[in-house]
Amino acid sequence: MGSDPEKLIIKADKLTKLSLTRWSADWRGATLLYEQAAVGFRLAKDYEKAKVAFEKASKGQEMLSSQWDAAKHMESAAALAKELNNWGEVADFYRRASELYTECGRSQPASDALAKGARALEDAAPDEAIQLYTDACTILEEDGKEHMAFDLYRAATSVYIKLEKYADAATFLLRWGLAADKCKATHSQFKAYLSAIVVYLYAHDFKEAEKCYNDCSQIDAFLSSDQGRCASKLLSAYADGDIEEIKRVAQSSTISNLDHMIIRLARKLPTGDVSAMKANAGNEQEEPLDEDDLT
Amino acid sequence: MSTSSAISMPMVTMPLLASTPASKLTLNRLFMAAAVALNAEIRRTKARLLEEVVKLQKLVLKKVKGLTKEELSIRNDLVLALPERIRAIPDGSMAGAKQTANWAASASHKNIMFDSSDGNFDSEFFQQSEESSQFRQEYEMRRMKQDQGLDVISEGLDTLKNLANDMNEELDRQVPLIDEIDTKVDKATSDIKNTNVRLKETVTKMRSSQNFCIDIILLCVILGIASYLYNVLK
Repeated sequence: MGSDPEKLIIKADKLTKLSLTRWSADWRGATLLYEQAAVGFRLAKDYEKAKVAFEKASKGQEMLSSQWDAAKHMESAAALAKELNNWGEVADFYRRASELYTECGRSQPASDALAKGARALEDAAPDEAIQLYTDACTILEEDGKEHMAFDLYRAATSVYIKLEKYADAATFLLRWGLAADKCKATHSQFKAYLSAIVVYLYAHDFKEAEKCYNDCSQIDAFLSSDQGRCASKLLSAYADGDIEEIKRVAQSSTISNLDHMIIRLARKLPTGDVSAMKANAGNEQEEPLDEDDLT
Repeated sequence: MSTSSAISMPMVTMPLLASTPASKLTLNRLFMAAAVALNAEIRRTKARLLEEVVKLQKLVLKKVKGLTKEELSIRNDLVLALPERIRAIPDGSMAGAKQTANWAASASHKNIMFDSSDGNFDSEFFQQSEESSQFRQEYEMRRMKQDQGLDVISEGLDTLKNLANDMNEELDRQVPLIDEIDTKVDKATSDIKNTNVRLKETVTKMRSSQNFCIDIILLCVILGIASYLYNVLK
């Protein structure tokens, strides 16, 4: 079947178009021809036409009620759209593929499709990429497969940090901690919490960092863990305004076990004016002392 | 009562004795006596306070109505800090050492001071001091080296712990996946077994008539004869 892909497309189109002589479209034959044409175009490096052919093939498979194949074709079309740098179409195709996978009841490939889309869009349209990552995480969480979502969380956090949206990054890290908690992955959970505190400190938001630490301390295991101790050391170093201590804690092995983008942030600590934080912290501490004075 | 009189006595005799340098030593001794008496009283009070603190610790643990959890922990911390504060009150057991060292004759044997201002040393002492200082230096050096080595080990252990935890979580993640694979492979195996059985039945159906083998043998014979005839006739 090495005939010209163009001819195949024309033939397939004829099969699907309804006219006086044809009362019902022959999707089976048409889909076959579309697939062949698409492969032919891809070999000829004619990405635009190959993409169109894949789209039509996917539509054909849908008509044949085989969503799995339809989704697969959509993914191929999306990959070709990526070659063409057609970002809007990339997002659309991957979303459509993911929907088809969900109709099959297979959540893992659905989230994989969204993740592939997000990865493709990381550089070009990061906001869209983040949206895709979030949706992928939601799909997995709904299906109870949070442990597969860790990589997605990590990738989304790195995109946030690249965009310098530190508050969002920290919130996402806390969501990661929640997912880790649900599947009892305590080590990852504590690492996520420590990363969130580091991100807040990097964003020069000491109050948020302290609030975060207090929230996380509700979990007893976190307080007595390595990560919790490291967090408390870091916060007390900040409260004392001791730059040497901050640097020393940032070089410690606990921080070096986190993800590399968090390590990069930690090495750059302390940002900005540490002494200002020290003054703030000092003002806050004076009042409680009066209450505790027994005499 | 006795303490107050001990205090008042030096107050009276002080101007009389202050003049004579020889009696300055006696003056010191009188002050010493007063100080000792006061210290004794302080020690007695401290012991009594410590007993009270034990009772207070028991009380603090009881929950009082209208008290938040934080206040409870604050009180707990305070009570725990009390014994330290009580013990920190100087009751002369430390101050006494300094002053007794100045007494040439009745030096207290409890607190050995390395003061070199005391006069009764001869050359032997200095030799010993050299050896002991060398020993001390070596001890410090070895201890430092040990500390460094332990630091390195501790870092390595941290890395190991992190790796082990990550491996643990990864394996936990893989367990349900492998269970799924197990189920699917079981299903595939049973499908293949079914197919094999059906295939065997079909082939047996063909062979059981025994015509199959005979057909093939006869075909080969005919082909042989045909080729032989072809070769002969050529």
